[in-house]
Amino acid sequence: MKKIKAALWMEILKVRRTKIFPISLYFFIFIGIMMGFLMFVARHPEIANRSATLRTKTSFLPGSDWNAFYELIIQLVLTLGVVGSGVITSWVFGREFSDRTVKDLLALPVPRSTIVLSKLIILFVWNILLSLCFLAATIISGLLLQVPGWSGTALTPFLVTFMVCAILNSLLIAPVAFIASAGRGYILPISFVILILILTQLMFVGLPDFAFWFPWALPAIFSGVAGEVLPSPGYISYVIFTLTVLAGFFGTIAWWWYADHK
Amino acid sequence: MKIEVIRTENLTKHYGEIHAAEKVNLQIKQGEIYGFLGLNGAGKTTTIRMLLGMIRPTRGEALLYGEKADPGNTELWNRVGHLVEIPYSYPELTVRENLEIFRRLRLLKDRNVVMEVMDKLHLGRYKNMKARNLSHGNAQRLGIAKALIHHPGLLILDEPANGLDPAGIVQIRELITDLALNHGVTIFISSHILGEISRLATRIGIIHEGQIVRESDVAQLESSRLKVLHVSTLDNQKAHEILIHKGYASSHLPDSSLELPDESAINHPEMISALLASSGLPPVRIAVDEEDLEHFFFRIIQKHHRQS
Repeated sequence: MKKIKAALWMEILKVRRTKIFPISLYFFIFIGIMMGFLMFVARHPEIANRSATLRTKTSFLPGSDWNAFYELIIQLVLTLGVVGSGVITSWVFGREFSDRTVKDLLALPVPRSTIVLSKLIILFVWNILLSLCFLAATIISGLLLQVPGWSGTALTPFLVTFMVCAILNSLLIAPVAFIASAGRGYILPISFVILILILTQLMFVGLPDFAFWFPWALPAIFSGVAGEVLPSPGYISYVIFTLTVLAGFFGTIAWWWYADHK
Repeated sequence: MKIEVIRTENLTKHYGEIHAAEKVNLQIKQGEIYGFLGLNGAGKTTTIRMLLGMIRPTRGEALLYGEKADPGNTELWNRVGHLVEIPYSYPELTVRENLEIFRRLRLLKDRNVVMEVMDKLHLGRYKNMKARNLSHGNAQRLGIAKALIHHPGLLILDEPANGLDPAGIVQIRELITDLALNHGVTIFISSHILGEISRLATRIGIIHEGQIVRESDVAQLESSRLKVLHVSTLDNQKAHEILIHKGYASSHLPDSSLELPDESAINHPEMISALLASSGLPPVRIAVDEEDLEHFFFRIIQKHHRQS
């Protein structure tokens, strides 16, 4: 217990002192507020018509009430969650290699697996925190900008879907952690995240049947944002998802443990 | 009887065709200061990383305190302090915070150790300075402080004098000598500068192209250095002819002074002096000079090249 506490203390201190932590929070809050404004613009076509870009963006919205807003928030957390978790995971793991500080973490009374575990715990919490900030910013901006059709009964299932999507996205940090460790830096994991994002989008458009086999598609399938094109995920999707997360987790530990640290 | 702190048996690391370390055998006892000497790329850092469990050997094994140097042997690592190549610290954290991290990761209860080690390394005045703003020398000191914070019994230092100014080098040398002589700490220190290592070490190993090519006590090493007799007179050409005539292997140095490698000349310079004086050319300078350490180092390496 002492060992994991020591490793967590180190990771918390590093996150607290870095600029990327407040920047990520501000960014997620900013996007949340922007979503509120987008709903506001959707309700006022006279504003949307002043800009072709705004008009295009609002035309994609399924409506201008709270139900449409909830759907927009879920869509955003699915995309933003993958990018956000990917970037912060690349930073937490990749910086140890880019800054060459990793060599000080390899011959200590605290095992390497504990160091990896503490990083993953911090990343999970950080990622959930970002999702909550985004959620709070969207809800508050929606209330302040008086999005119509507030429904208390619709709120609970929305919150459940949102949190499940946020948690699923946060669990997918494990494979990114492996890529960041094996790639010894930031570039490979960030490229990987971009690739995943593109693949997920392509899959929903061109290969919807294959999406059930693709772990990064599970949060979107679960949320139901794809509509009737994709029914609820079956157990096989959850099995593949779980195996991917476990492979990422144990792969990262194995890499820290067995790879040559030159 | 002093315990064996480091023992390697045929420690070998290959990266494809590259033989970074080849059958390295070391036995280092408690309290020794072992100088590990080699050119850049000779295999020093690879050997050190294998000693610290950072690289898995292709063959052979490394034992510290009789235990295998394995990442999972976590208790062992609290007896070992290390500095591998250029030390890097978390740039956004202060000196004190960087050290506090290692106090906790070393599971040390005493909070004062951070202050103590900062004082020992003269880092107190920089305690609130972010590591990114430290000079190269102070960053090096911080790296050494991290290696010393838990009072290890074995200190493995890879080129610790890098980036230090002359005062810093002297300070680190005194610190290392004090740790070995007064606290029984075993020191394994690598360098590519023989002159620096010979001032510190009790024993020296020279590694070249992954192989140990020479290992000896410092005293033994000193006696292995070549000696020559240097002579200068008012007419070196004439003195040269006299010496050649008497059977000495005299040769001219670039400044026209004479160099005699003959054992009889080195052991009896007074005979040379008398010979030249009787010929009307008394020496204005006569001295037995030892081969400098760098020359000695390269001679050993070249000898290894010829043999292999």
